[in-house]
Amino acid sequence: MTFLARFSRNRGALIGLVILVVIVAAAVAAPLLYPVSPWRMVSRPFLAPLVNDRYPFGTDALGRDVASGLMHGARVSLLIGLVSTAVALAIGVPLGAVAGYVGGLADEAAMRFTELFQTIPSFALAIVIVAILQPSISSIVLAIALVTWPPVARLVRGEVLSLRRRDYVDAAVTLGQRTPRIIMAEILPNTVAPIIVMASLMVASAILLESSLSFLGLGDPNLMTWGYMVGAGRTRLIDAWWISFFPGLAIVLAVLALNLVGEGLSDALNPRLAGDRSR
Amino acid sequence: MSRFVRIGIVGGLTLMLAGAAAAQTTAPQGGGTPKKGGALQLVVTPEPPGLMLGLTQNGPTQMIASNIYESLLRYDVKLNPMPSLAKSWEISPDQTVYTFKLQDGVTWHDGKPFGADDVVFSLDVFLREVHPRWRQIANNQVKSIEKLDDLTVRITTKQPFGPFMLSQEAASAPIIPKHIYAGTDYRANPANNTPIGTGPMKFAEWRKGSFVKLVRNEAYWDKGRPLLDEMYFQFIPDAASRAVAYETGKVDVLTGGSVEVFDVARLAKLPNTCVTNGGWEMFAPHAWITPNVKNGILGNKQFRQAMMYAIDRDFGRDVIWSGYGKVPTGPISSKTKFYSDQGVTKYTYDPAKAKELVKASGYKGETIRFLSLPYGETWQRWAEAIKQNFDDVGIKMEIVSTDVPGWTQKVSNFDFDLTFNFLYQYGDPAIGVARSYVTSNIVKGNPFGNVGQYSNPEVDKLFAEAAVAPTEKRQDLYTKVQQITADDLPLLWLLEMDFPTVSRCNVKDLVTTSIGVNDSAKNVWKQ
Amino acid sequence: MNLARFLASRLVKGVLVLMAIAIVNFALIRAAPGDPATVMAGEAGAADEAFVQQLRERFGLDRPILEQLGIYLKGVATLDLGFSYRQGRSVASLIADRLPATLLLTGTAFVISLALGMLLGALAARRVGRPADTAITVVALLFYATPLFWIALMSQIVFSLKLGLLPNVGYETIGANLSGGDRALDIAHHLVLPALTLGLFFTALYARMMRASMLEIAGADYVRTARAKGVAPGSLTRRHIARNAILPVVTLAGLQAGQIVGGAVLTETVFAWPGIGRLMFESLAQRDYQVLLGVFFVSSAMVVLFNLATDLTYRFVDPRIQMGA
Repeated sequence: MTFLARFSRNRGALIGLVILVVIVAAAVAAPLLYPVSPWRMVSRPFLAPLVNDRYPFGTDALGRDVASGLMHGARVSLLIGLVSTAVALAIGVPLGAVAGYVGGLADEAAMRFTELFQTIPSFALAIVIVAILQPSISSIVLAIALVTWPPVARLVRGEVLSLRRRDYVDAAVTLGQRTPRIIMAEILPNTVAPIIVMASLMVASAILLESSLSFLGLGDPNLMTWGYMVGAGRTRLIDAWWISFFPGLAIVLAVLALNLVGEGLSDALNPRLAGDRSR
Repeated sequence: MSRFVRIGIVGGLTLMLAGAAAAQTTAPQGGGTPKKGGALQLVVTPEPPGLMLGLTQNGPTQMIASNIYESLLRYDVKLNPMPSLAKSWEISPDQTVYTFKLQDGVTWHDGKPFGADDVVFSLDVFLREVHPRWRQIANNQVKSIEKLDDLTVRITTKQPFGPFMLSQEAASAPIIPKHIYAGTDYRANPANNTPIGTGPMKFAEWRKGSFVKLVRNEAYWDKGRPLLDEMYFQFIPDAASRAVAYETGKVDVLTGGSVEVFDVARLAKLPNTCVTNGGWEMFAPHAWITPNVKNGILGNKQFRQAMMYAIDRDFGRDVIWSGYGKVPTGPISSKTKFYSDQGVTKYTYDPAKAKELVKASGYKGETIRFLSLPYGETWQRWAEAIKQNFDDVGIKMEIVSTDVPGWTQKVSNFDFDLTFNFLYQYGDPAIGVARSYVTSNIVKGNPFGNVGQYSNPEVDKLFAEAAVAPTEKRQDLYTKVQQITADDLPLLWLLEMDFPTVSRCNVKDLVTTSIGVNDSAKNVWKQ
Repeated sequence: MNLARFLASRLVKGVLVLMAIAIVNFALIRAAPGDPATVMAGEAGAADEAFVQQLRERFGLDRPILEQLGIYLKGVATLDLGFSYRQGRSVASLIADRLPATLLLTGTAFVISLALGMLLGALAARRVGRPADTAITVVALLFYATPLFWIALMSQIVFSLKLGLLPNVGYETIGANLSGGDRALDIAHHLVLPALTLGLFFTALYARMMRASMLEIAGADYVRTARAKGVAPGSLTRRHIARNAILPVVTLAGLQAGQIVGGAVLTETVFAWPGIGRLMFESLAQRDYQVLLGVFFVSSAMVVLFNLATDLTYRFVDPRIQMGA
């Protein structure tokens, strides 16, 4: 059975994929459908949803279009999720690979270093990092990456540990290939599947983490994200629920979709069910 | 959490002013005969670092500790002095010698007697060392502080200093016990955790992260006071939760600034709820944007005027501040003495004019960094709205966000292009206003100095003359200052702020002085 | 490896990690703009340079940074977390005041979520593919995906404001002067919303984990063998599957138990719960260095202890597991 067939057999994963496609489409189409900045005050404040056809999701405390914010927010929220995950992978994958392949002292050092980051309460660490560097998209991405890479390093290390004893790796060593090349060419490609699964879940948790930071007032003040919208509207929950409800819903849907897709990928790629990963 | 609305951070020297009390939505005062007993639950935000008023003077500390400690004087809503620890006073005709007669029969909460020694120690030794505001008055204006007898203290100033009588408010000059502090390391004194004062309420308990409990001082010198048995000051870090706590009956009083203004409008509609803007006459908080005039285009007067025309200040007041406050005409609040709008340039919202001025100023599209004030949602929204206003007239602005220490540090070091600020005026321009404009106050390390670095010898001269001029001459000098600055725009004044206090209507006489809930609650009672 | 040697080696490693953390945190916090003297001057509403300098000297902030680090590490090594000049109290006493509330909150949330999560997960796994499974999975996913602060705010509005059933903030009724059983009940009443809010996310997590773990083990060879041998389904689930499926859940839980001690910032903030998460955040906002470092140190120490406890549990649940270091 092909990967696609296995994936599409999973109903949840398909639903997740559909939601994700819609969100990505919204992110891509945002500048076309809403060319005006989402920060612009376009109508009177606190316009309820569906009251005015032009503002189906209502307006916020300053009269900004919630629909526009949702669309543009999708761009930034997804971007933050993707970039911070990429940065986390960029830290975790090499560290885990080297630790797992070289072993010995390097492994010990790398694992103690990882443990260090797993021991400091992660959300608190993220808060401190953003506060120190001042809230901006780069400090937020960095903070999220710094608290999310350790599981990646552990995962990769584990995979590499088991792969390096395989015959084809031994063969490469016998052939005199250099270590970096063996890691890059022979080992890492075989760890891609679990990394992809983990990354999809990491994007989801990055979006959640960003929204929590925004809630605490540690968001980038120049970027419209869902987290910002929830944070800014939450104090008006009682009299203007829509301002923070819709972006909140968007976060839930995005995280949900990424998790469903991640699980679908996991099932579809799972070696015990599929058995073809050794290639 | 940046969702704290913080009002404790900004102030300055002390003094006063006359001025009508702000419009009161519903007056919680008066009605019925005062009744003894009961416990009052208040919300204070954020939780203060300490309650020793001599060492810590932020807003929350003051709201709690002004019930524990007292000063020589209190002030009515017109800023006239009223007796507190001083029973009466005499001022020499040349206005340099102030003789205070103290109340007799006053004891500290630990039972020791209070007297002139305590006053002299407090003003001359303790506060002179540790109080950032009093030390400036003590070192620059005061010649001597002497005990004449056990119940009489004489303070002599170097020259006539009009605002002196306004300097004896509880947080500005609290009287602390000599027998506990003399000869000790003040900041490490263990007694700081169990404050001992002369006030109507005694410290009972501080459950960190939850509340401070005060109980009635049975031995209080003002017989028949206080009326309450207990006061609980609760700490609820989240602004939305504070509002819900009021709605669900957990607290009786939301002190000014502890809920976002838009919540005030909603809460005001609840049954048995009274809202007042009173109790801030002494402070008259004045909000503005400080342009750093040393940074490129911001030094250009036309550009500053362009910004002023570009900002929709009425929108700020009506939408962002839910209609609370007043759009100012210049540096002096209409609640402060010597306010005048005679012949000042008025700025109405006029994007077209702003565009012309931007063009004329030679602005080339450079990005202006706006350091936002980390005191809660409302300020954040305001920065966002102003960014759009600027966008409309072609000014590019980027919001820079930081937390309170970061803001203080950056502003103290002039590391910003534009920033919000709001300062207390303390009743008299000589104390609360001049400091933001005069050249001599361009000093790094002080966020409440002239951080925009505006310098105009004429303005310097006028402020200097006005501070020591006879009262009848001061108005002319200050009127002139207001005219010059309204044209020059060293600061872009946005709002005379209101900090409404929300309370149950059966809490009586909550706000009766010009410092409102920042003052002792000795007269407050529950019906 | 015997238990004593295992414990000793883990403790040594734990202490080394904690010292490293102390250094990292110290460096991090000192990189932040502003210091306690700036903050205090700012709050007082006026300041002159001499005054701020006087404060810095008083706090020892004028000394070379390495000397300050040395002093701090020496303190930590002797379990002296320092003194907060800002609050006029020792850091240890400030944390000791707050720790019980945090432990009560996280402990309750943890126990509820672990028990409920494993139960629901096991239930879903047994009925895999059927409506019960779908319902549990969907609900778990929803709670997993919903931001925690959002649940917190909603529950306040629904249960406190609209229904008036539960208090929305605080640890106990202030001014009620209760004692004994009445006070315990009162605290429990206040505990419901924050503990449920914090617990829901973890319940969802553990339920998903338990379900996945059980399904995986159900496919393992030895379970197939047992099934082939005719072991009754109920016994199979309990003795062969559930017992082994618990292991990864317990590992994860152990890791998180430590983390949530310092990570309940959001819950404690929204519900005004007087715990150390809030203390951490507030001391950060005030640059109260010693307190901030102290909270980080204590919560990191919790993580180390919980990890150790997890490993011991592991050993207890499954004696075959070798205690690698």
